[in-house]
Amino acid sequence: MIKLPSIHIGRLSLLLSILVWLALLFVDLVRLFGVINNLNSGIAPEFTWILEILFFLTVYLFYNYNLQKNTQNEFINLLWRAASTGIFASAAFLVIQLFYQFLGDSKLGQEPFLRNFFYHVHFALISIFLISTTLLWKKLILYQKTKQVVQQWQTYEIGLLFAMFFVFFSQNTFGYSFIFGFVILTILGGFLSVNLKWIPYLTFKEKWKSLLFLALIIVCSVYLFLQTNAYSSAQQTYPINLLDNLFLISLFVFILIYALFSFLVTLFNLPTSSVFEQKLTEAINFQRLSQSIQPDEDEEKVLDILLDSSMSASFADGAWLELYQSERNQAVLQERWIESKEREELAELIESNTSAQNWAKDTKAELLSPLPLKIKHPKFGSLLLVPLVVNKAVIGRLVLCKELKDGFNKEMVTIIETFSRQASISVENHRLLNQAIQNERYQEELKIAQRVQKALLPNELDHNQAFEICAYSNAADEVGGDYYDTFQLDQNRFVFIIGDVSGKGTSAAFHMAQMKGVFQSLIQLNLSPKEFMTRSNAALSRCLERNHFITASIFIIDTQNHQVCHARAGHVPTLLYRSGDQKAKYLEIGGLGLGILRNMHYEKHVEEKEFTYHSGDILVLFTDGIVEAKNQKSQQFGFERIRALVEMNQYLSPREIQTKLIDTLHDFVGGDGLIDDDYSLMVVKFN
Amino acid sequence: MLSIETQLENPNHILIPKGEIDASNSVQLDESIRKLLEEGAKSILVDGSFIEYISSAGLGVFMSYLEDFQERGVSLKIFSLSPRVLEVFKILGLDRLIPIFPNKEAALNDK
Repeated sequence: MIKLPSIHIGRLSLLLSILVWLALLFVDLVRLFGVINNLNSGIAPEFTWILEILFFLTVYLFYNYNLQKNTQNEFINLLWRAASTGIFASAAFLVIQLFYQFLGDSKLGQEPFLRNFFYHVHFALISIFLISTTLLWKKLILYQKTKQVVQQWQTYEIGLLFAMFFVFFSQNTFGYSFIFGFVILTILGGFLSVNLKWIPYLTFKEKWKSLLFLALIIVCSVYLFLQTNAYSSAQQTYPINLLDNLFLISLFVFILIYALFSFLVTLFNLPTSSVFEQKLTEAINFQRLSQSIQPDEDEEKVLDILLDSSMSASFADGAWLELYQSERNQAVLQERWIESKEREELAELIESNTSAQNWAKDTKAELLSPLPLKIKHPKFGSLLLVPLVVNKAVIGRLVLCKELKDGFNKEMVTIIETFSRQASISVENHRLLNQAIQNERYQEELKIAQRVQKALLPNELDHNQAFEICAYSNAADEVGGDYYDTFQLDQNRFVFIIGDVSGKGTSAAFHMAQMKGVFQSLIQLNLSPKEFMTRSNAALSRCLERNHFITASIFIIDTQNHQVCHARAGHVPTLLYRSGDQKAKYLEIGGLGLGILRNMHYEKHVEEKEFTYHSGDILVLFTDGIVEAKNQKSQQFGFERIRALVEMNQYLSPREIQTKLIDTLHDFVGGDGLIDDDYSLMVVKFN
Repeated sequence: MLSIETQLENPNHILIPKGEIDASNSVQLDESIRKLLEEGAKSILVDGSFIEYISSAGLGVFMSYLEDFQERGVSLKIFSLSPRVLEVFKILGLDRLIPIFPNKEAALNDK
């Protein structure tokens, strides 16, 4: 297989068009030679026509490709290309004319071969100018195209193709059919010429430029057209007419019509172009405002944009923006084109204006719209008050000032209101985002607190061969106020403590940490349970908040004498299962919670009791979270359920009893029901 | 849910909390008691017949006023507590600091 090299359409068409033109030149010169020497060269005019059409097609192909490839498609660039080609063609033609003027009636000036050569150059330049400009027009016409316009253009192109071949049919005579074809193409071109959507997108400056370019194009094409006619009327010198071609004439007319239309429309668009630019700026400003600010950026940036865009939308002569901080203390954030002194004067004028007073008192902040005001001030004639509403509260206001009286029309007010709302949304989003980030940080902190609190509970529970022990604690929130601990006093004596801070959550967790500190210090002193509670009360009374208290139970176990000495400070009673009569009972012992009586009288409200334990006896210490856990019917788990459960499962190990209790509790509360209090549990079984 | 009514039956101020008193609404109870104190109440009776549940935070409110009451010579009595709520007061030992009566008559008769 022979691999075909990839064809470069641009270069190929350029090369072909040059070759075709040379061939055309050659053929016509040969014919001229024949005419001059009265020889029949035998070259039919169709041959020339075919070459002419080929030349048109290759030039069309070249420019079509060239334009598609060219990415610089700004309208001004396109216009400049057309204008420059026109100028080049006209200039070349002028030079040729000057050359002939210079030659005058000399022999060389009469030389038919040279004249014919220049005729062909002229033909090539005109064709290039017309075809390239037509293609540029195509780009402009098809800007923001609709299907209909594309179809119209395609029809026109087909018409142009016919026009190229028309020469075979008319034999280059100027008859009715020529006029007919010309009229049809002109009408089609005229229809296409109303597609001028690109013009409004030019800026004011660009419009002036394009007017210049369009004028150049019109002048060049008129000049070239007139010159072409001059050739046609001097036909005898040229053996074949290349320029009286329906295709070329139609293109001339089309280019002229479109350039003229564009020129006029651009001209009449000039006065309103500032409005269009204004709208475009507003749209861009709106977009800038709606782009949410990054969390690390400042709200001020949005307010800055708001101030600038509102000023440009209303052509304000001065403006300032103030934010209300607490108690209507106004912080002036930004001042534009206004002196502080003037601002204060104006602010006073606003204060004294009744409609402004009513406006400021409006309670429905979210419905507040900008308020135009007339004022009597040496410099400014009118004001516009714009509220900044975030989260249904007015956070500040923007004041726009104009020197004119009644300077703010309805459209300005509407657009500024939209701006301020959008800015408010941006600020609101920014605040919400920051809040969300803050919340996430708090969550992290709480997780740390949770970890720290977990570490406050013992990892291992002190015990010896005389008993088995296990414990469990669960907080309703991330952190809680429940506490349990064990301590070994000596070889045979152990302490169990369970405690519960009133309330739950963070405050309870702090108190729980204090409780641990107090308990851990006092426990070492080898105090009796009653003494322990009394001293704990004294210590905790100093650090607990007034409406907080702690309940606790303490058990001191002597495994040598099988004695248990205990005290209760307002804590839920402890369950004792007796293996002797196989019954579980709550220990009855009085005692006031810690931190309730913060004086020396506490001692009178706490007692101490003692009992002997036997093998198989079980102690169950817990907090009120278990007792008060509620099911869907609002029933409490209660003491009785715990008692019955322990009696029923007395043969199990402490861990199994604990698991049983917790599982039953969860079943009771219900599948997704949450226990909304901290709860803890300690099970001790004596061997 | 908690709603608190107060009635004035000279010279007693009757406080009638209705519903559950827990950590989320104990502030309400605190405010009503403070208001009574500010009004110069010298004898506050709490009608407990509509208290469905009281958490430790709720107890904390009563507790926090004990010293205040003593200093100002204000008497606080609670009556008609349901057995379950009374149990909570008893476990904490508050029944020994705040006089609790089975009904209003008993509370009024006690001097």
